Amino acid sequence: MVSKIKKKTLSFQDTIFNLQKYWSKKGCVILQPYDLEVGAGTFHPATTLRSLGPKPWKTAYVQPSRRPTDGRYGDNPNRLQHYYQFQVLIKPSPKEIKKMYLNSLSSIGINHEEHDIRFVEDDWESPTLGAAGLGWEVWCDGMEVTQFTYFQQMAGVECKPVSVEITYGLERLCMFIQNKKSVFDLIWNDEGITYKDVFHQSEKEFSAYNFEYANTDNLFKIFEMLEEETKLLVEKKISLPAYDQCLKCSHVFNILDARGVISVAQRAEYIARIRELTKSIGKVWIESQS
Amino acid sequence: MSELFVELFSEEIPARLQINARNELKKNIKNFFIDNQIKFNENFNVYSTPNRLVLHIDKIPNEIKLSLEEIKGPNVNAPEKALEGFIRSNNIILEKIFKKNTEKGEFYFFKKESRKIKVSDLLEKNLSEILKKIAWNKSMKWANYDLYWGRPLKSILAIFNKKPLNFDFNHINSSNKTFIDKSLEEGIKIFNDFHSYLKFFKQKGILIDQDLRKKIIQNKINEIINKKNLKIEQNDSLIDEIVNIVEKPAVILCDFDKKFLNIPSEILITTMQSHQKYLPTFDKKNNLTNNFFVVSDIKDTKGFVKLGNERVIEARLSDAEFFWEKNKTQNLVKQVDKLKNINFFKGLGSYFDKIQRMRKLSSLISDDFLISKDKIEIASSICKVDLMSDLVGEFPELQGIVGGHFARFQGFDKEVCLAVSEQYLPNGMESKLPKKMYSVALSLSDKLDSLVGFFGINLKPTSSKDPYAIRRMAISLVRLIVENETKIKLKDLIVYTCSVYRDQGYEFDIKKIQNELSDFIIERLKNYLKEKKIRQDIIESSTFLLGLDDILKAYKKSICLNRNIKKEIGLETIAAYKRCSNILNTEEKITIETLGFADPGLFKNDYEKKLYKKINDIRKYFLSIGKDENYEESLKILSSIKNEVNDFFDNVIVNDEDIIIKKNRLELLNMLCKTFDNYFNFSKIEA
Repeated sequence: MVSKIKKKTLSFQDTIFNLQKYWSKKGCVILQPYDLEVGAGTFHPATTLRSLGPKPWKTAYVQPSRRPTDGRYGDNPNRLQHYYQFQVLIKPSPKEIKKMYLNSLSSIGINHEEHDIRFVEDDWESPTLGAAGLGWEVWCDGMEVTQFTYFQQMAGVECKPVSVEITYGLERLCMFIQNKKSVFDLIWNDEGITYKDVFHQSEKEFSAYNFEYANTDNLFKIFEMLEEETKLLVEKKISLPAYDQCLKCSHVFNILDARGVISVAQRAEYIARIRELTKSIGKVWIESQS
Repeated sequence: MSELFVELFSEEIPARLQINARNELKKNIKNFFIDNQIKFNENFNVYSTPNRLVLHIDKIPNEIKLSLEEIKGPNVNAPEKALEGFIRSNNIILEKIFKKNTEKGEFYFFKKESRKIKVSDLLEKNLSEILKKIAWNKSMKWANYDLYWGRPLKSILAIFNKKPLNFDFNHINSSNKTFIDKSLEEGIKIFNDFHSYLKFFKQKGILIDQDLRKKIIQNKINEIINKKNLKIEQNDSLIDEIVNIVEKPAVILCDFDKKFLNIPSEILITTMQSHQKYLPTFDKKNNLTNNFFVVSDIKDTKGFVKLGNERVIEARLSDAEFFWEKNKTQNLVKQVDKLKNINFFKGLGSYFDKIQRMRKLSSLISDDFLISKDKIEIASSICKVDLMSDLVGEFPELQGIVGGHFARFQGFDKEVCLAVSEQYLPNGMESKLPKKMYSVALSLSDKLDSLVGFFGINLKPTSSKDPYAIRRMAISLVRLIVENETKIKLKDLIVYTCSVYRDQGYEFDIKKIQNELSDFIIERLKNYLKEKKIRQDIIESSTFLLGLDDILKAYKKSICLNRNIKKEIGLETIAAYKRCSNILNTEEKITIETLGFADPGLFKNDYEKKLYKKINDIRKYFLSIGKDENYEESLKILSSIKNEVNDFFDNVIVNDEDIIIKKNRLELLNMLCKTFDNYFNFSKIEA
């Protein structure tokens, strides 16, 4: 009679639980989010730095990700300046990773035999991280739900062995599972709390901050200070604190970008500056690994 | 006769890489068969799905006979070690070795008896090399392995004559097995021939042959559009991509809410095509409809796929609609001031500064084009405002086009709107070219401003790096001038652009910019001519004397000479020139310098006089033609000097004892060459 039981809608938090349990069983270290503002799960040192060097590593974690330019004051059903990624990183990339990934989808109710699951070319590059990888964005019935990447380069260094990174966009995935048209209608837990209850005010206020009120004069100065601090720490050969400063630089840059005070060409220059920082940190980190 | 059947199973390889890998594999295997003199069916095919790269060749003999051959070893005088090595590497005994004289001296040889070799042995020995030779456009490594492949390679199935071939390719051993499901890679099956392999997968709905997939997709689409009275746009690259991202295609007709048709169609089409790989449909009047095709890789038995894709497009379109509604009413003129907050480039000011410069520049151009100064100034002022819109943030590839739509919505003049839409065109060699004068003027001033600016702050591209696509900008400039037959004085415009920058307080080295930019643009013209398949020597000649203001002329003259170079007028023109210039060159190397002024009073015979007269006739011709020179006619006139030149050389000895007479004759020849320079400098043309 199992089939007669009405399938309960998987809540946002249950989706996270299921993925955590699934990847935990696959031997991943389940970490908690990094406690700094980052643009994506990749920026977590457990990915950026741990993907460098020879030591094997498996991890999975949720990472709140901030993209100030994507803020829409909570008015847009698909756009957020703060959202969640579920990130998996395994080094070296296992042979069965595709099977593992498809089964992880089953664990949250997406059966690959009923849906058009597509691995669509998407070579990934992060100019600020000096990183590049080959892989796909995974589409489920036309909706991008995951980024799947084999790292080839990180912090300007060739990856050996190669890590595989799987990044689930949790809101998108849940909208798909729960059949919602607006991210704010997502069911957060079984008590009926919605995404809107949790995050709408935050979206509204942070959009205002990012687009209108952030003090750009100060931010430009802060950027310089952080950059200087990073360089100093690199000289002292302490990679993790240096990387923290670099992450902060990156976030300040993102807010400046959202404020519209950085031109297309200037962007390239700022990005190059951050990339130089990352590269120097990567070197220090690798030295510490041997 | 046997068949070779190889399948390389991997994770999903992107469409364009598959196409490239198919071609490479086909080429490499063909070369192998030819090099080893093995017969094979030359009409063989390489197939692929995202996960499988499949090679199938039949009519291959099982054995090949190698006839007796003499294998050459080291020279008899070479150190003994060389001979030992030769013996060892060929696995022979010393008694088999004999000496023999050749053109290059005496060498050791041995006779390799005629023998039979199994093709399967040869294949086992060589397949790994053949696979290694595949030159991927882009490849990757994975796990701990050193192999490069399009995406992780999982298994190799290799069969010859129904038996497995055993070889190692990096860490993978070939076998007669493959995975039967691409998703979980759980089921494994043995195949001993291609036919049963094809049949097996066909029963599962999987089509290995890409051409078959294409046909089935197209047939299905045609069936539906005929029934529904729709059309699709011919879009080969999209169809080819779709064909190569599915293995069991299912065409599904979906639709979105009609209300979205109010959004400019470029936005809808871009969303469908480049973002989602959907095929938009049009009605009989070529208007976009709300129907579109999805090619799924699975039979949509429960309707999930259709539903899912419709939801995705609606979400994307409501995003676009939200932005369109918001942005279109934002007054373009009122926003111009905000461009002050957006930097165009570090060291070149804001976009506000840029449009001020563009306004002045386009206004000057409007004088040459005889178009309305007011209109082009308006177009310049508003043309960059769309960069601040959400829509361009979303669809950067639609910059300009989106601005044009805003302008249209806000009731700007038609030509102004079009100019805004087309300001970035052309964008390189292949792109569409604007034809309307307002569009050309705006595009020219945009590009000139950027080029002068980048050269001003010394950001010229280097041979390997061109991060700001400055080359493409200059090529586009050349195309605007050449293909629209635009008569502008580029030199003056560059000087003027520099002065406009100076008015804004930029301290550029104007002389340096002029020289460097001029050389740079001429280089692009040369590239452009090369693309047009103009002979290299003609390209060099055309740009030797003609400068920046004569790009159009240089282009037309090159085309004309290139067309005629093997014809009479071309051959004769060059022959006449060369006869004169050759003598001049040898003489000038020794002592005599000439200026190109012959003194008729020193002529000794009619041949000199006739040549002199003819040269003067030609000079008059060139003086008389204005801007409407017919280049074919000019060549004809030049070639008509043939008789005078021939008579002169047949009857006159340039090298006269009297040095004054000799010099005068050389002056006459130089005069001819200089006259020919009116077309262009022929000295670089190879006869």
